[in-house]
Amino acid sequence: MLVWDSFCPLLLTSMLFPSFRPVETSAKKPMPFLRQVVPVTKKVHRDPRFDDLSGEYNPEIFMKTYSFLDTIKKQEKEMVQKQLKKCRNMEQKEKLQQLLNRMTQQEQAQKKQQKRRERELTLKRQQRELAKQGKKPFFLKKSEKRKLELAEKYAELKRSGKLESFLNKKRKRNAVKDKRRLPTQKNL
Amino acid sequence: AKRTIRQFNSCISTNTKTDGVFTSSNRKEKTQSTKTVTETAPPRASPVCPPAAAAIRVLRGHQHSVTCLVVSPDDKFIFSAAKDGSVIKWEVESGKRLCVVPGGKKGTEGQHMGHTAHVLCIAISSDGKYLATGDRNKLILIWEAATCKRLYTFTGHRDAVSGLSFRKGTYQLYSASHDRSVKVWNVEENAYLETLFGHQDIITGMDSLSRECCVTSGGRDGTVRFWKIPEESQLIFYGHQGSIDCIQLINEEHMVSGADDGSVALWGLAKKKPLALVRQSHGTQGSAQDLQQPYWVSAVAALLNSDLVATGSHSGCVKLWKCGEGFQKLEPLCDIPLIGFVNSLKFSSTGDFLVAGIGQEHRLGRWWRVKEAKNSICIIPLKCRAEAPGPMAADCA
Repeated sequence: MLVWDSFCPLLLTSMLFPSFRPVETSAKKPMPFLRQVVPVTKKVHRDPRFDDLSGEYNPEIFMKTYSFLDTIKKQEKEMVQKQLKKCRNMEQKEKLQQLLNRMTQQEQAQKKQQKRRERELTLKRQQRELAKQGKKPFFLKKSEKRKLELAEKYAELKRSGKLESFLNKKRKRNAVKDKRRLPTQKNL
Repeated sequence: AKRTIRQFNSCISTNTKTDGVFTSSNRKEKTQSTKTVTETAPPRASPVCPPAAAAIRVLRGHQHSVTCLVVSPDDKFIFSAAKDGSVIKWEVESGKRLCVVPGGKKGTEGQHMGHTAHVLCIAISSDGKYLATGDRNKLILIWEAATCKRLYTFTGHRDAVSGLSFRKGTYQLYSASHDRSVKVWNVEENAYLETLFGHQDIITGMDSLSRECCVTSGGRDGTVRFWKIPEESQLIFYGHQGSIDCIQLINEEHMVSGADDGSVALWGLAKKKPLALVRQSHGTQGSAQDLQQPYWVSAVAALLNSDLVATGSHSGCVKLWKCGEGFQKLEPLCDIPLIGFVNSLKFSSTGDFLVAGIGQEHRLGRWWRVKEAKNSICIIPLKCRAEAPGPMAADCA
């Protein structure tokens, strides 16, 4: 056996000459009280976010396949609203209100993301058309993209008539922030 | 008895050169053996005649089921112990009780000379000087075999002592216990030597020969372990499916064990699986066809350095088996009818008789109770088979 091992790796020898001899172990190690009677398989935990089996994330395909979730979310929101109306308990009412707020905000965030994607798409289409026509394609900077967003936002607000209140709130917020920057009594 | 003899006659091989004496040729004890067989040839048992029912001697004296017994090396005395804690020394020839150490009541350990709990195992040194008994109270008592006087008590085990064996030619005692450990003691010097671990369930049986090694059967952990004491290592053998309840060494390289699924296995030290396995050796019991359960093998015995093996259960008979060539097979020889739980089996050192310890219950518990059985020890003479079948048949019948 020793001669074999020097030429072939141990695995090969164990496959060629499977051991029929009894296992020899130490007789001095005390055994634990519990003994494994049935072989128990360990549960393999996998995170589908980081698993290779889940594939690559493509937002369009994801939206299409999981669009059924939007209807379910709507139904749940209605349920929560109903419960909120019925509810008497103050604590539970608060909780439900928070939940409702969370739901609405999630919806709004989703819509925002959707709009952003659409804007990107329109920009890309514009570029493609320009390239087709023969003109050189130009790429907008991030700051310019943000400016466009702001312009759209203002247009939206003007349509709904909330422009004034939005601008007031913004002024207040900026004032508080600027005040923080001013030197205080201590630093004098 | 007639039917068994006829069966036996039909399967016997016509070996006309056998002696009158039953032995196999290369057993070391026999010096006047006529045949000189080379050491490489396997030992051969000459055909064994199943004894008539009248020839089996029943010695009664125990009040509860006999759990273990041992034959003195000179084949003159038998020491047996029972579930009530009593230990009796019998004389083989006359069948008389020479010494009786009655079992004591629970709680009288301090005053009482004998055991106060079920005695599970018994062993005698190879010169017949010391007798050791182990009981469910975690004690090992050492007696002087000639006078049945208690000498020492060995404490140290943490659960019932279930196996005892002396090393042949020395006063070294090996003990096995339900606390899964094997302890080594020196009886002459009244000393404890060491403890060995490895079993993962209670140890149900133990045996040793003249080497400083012993073999134990591990109950439900399904292993038979061979302990090499000077090297402090163990060899692990697997192969039984049920709980391995009894074990005996046939010679220094082979052993036979029995399990509670009715299987009897023949082991060799070189192979981790049994060399031969006989399933449902004593048949099955059960009321309906679908509820058949195999009879548990409660005792095995092997004639030292030969190829004769005996197994006992509560199926109503003791079965004799012959190990095939090179111990690769286990062939049935004959049945000896005996009603009751055969809790212990021992061959005499010359092979002239087989002693069986019978009880109404299994030695380890009370799963069944055979009311027709008598708590006794039975001495079964094993006669030879001479050349002429005519006069011998008459002799056996």
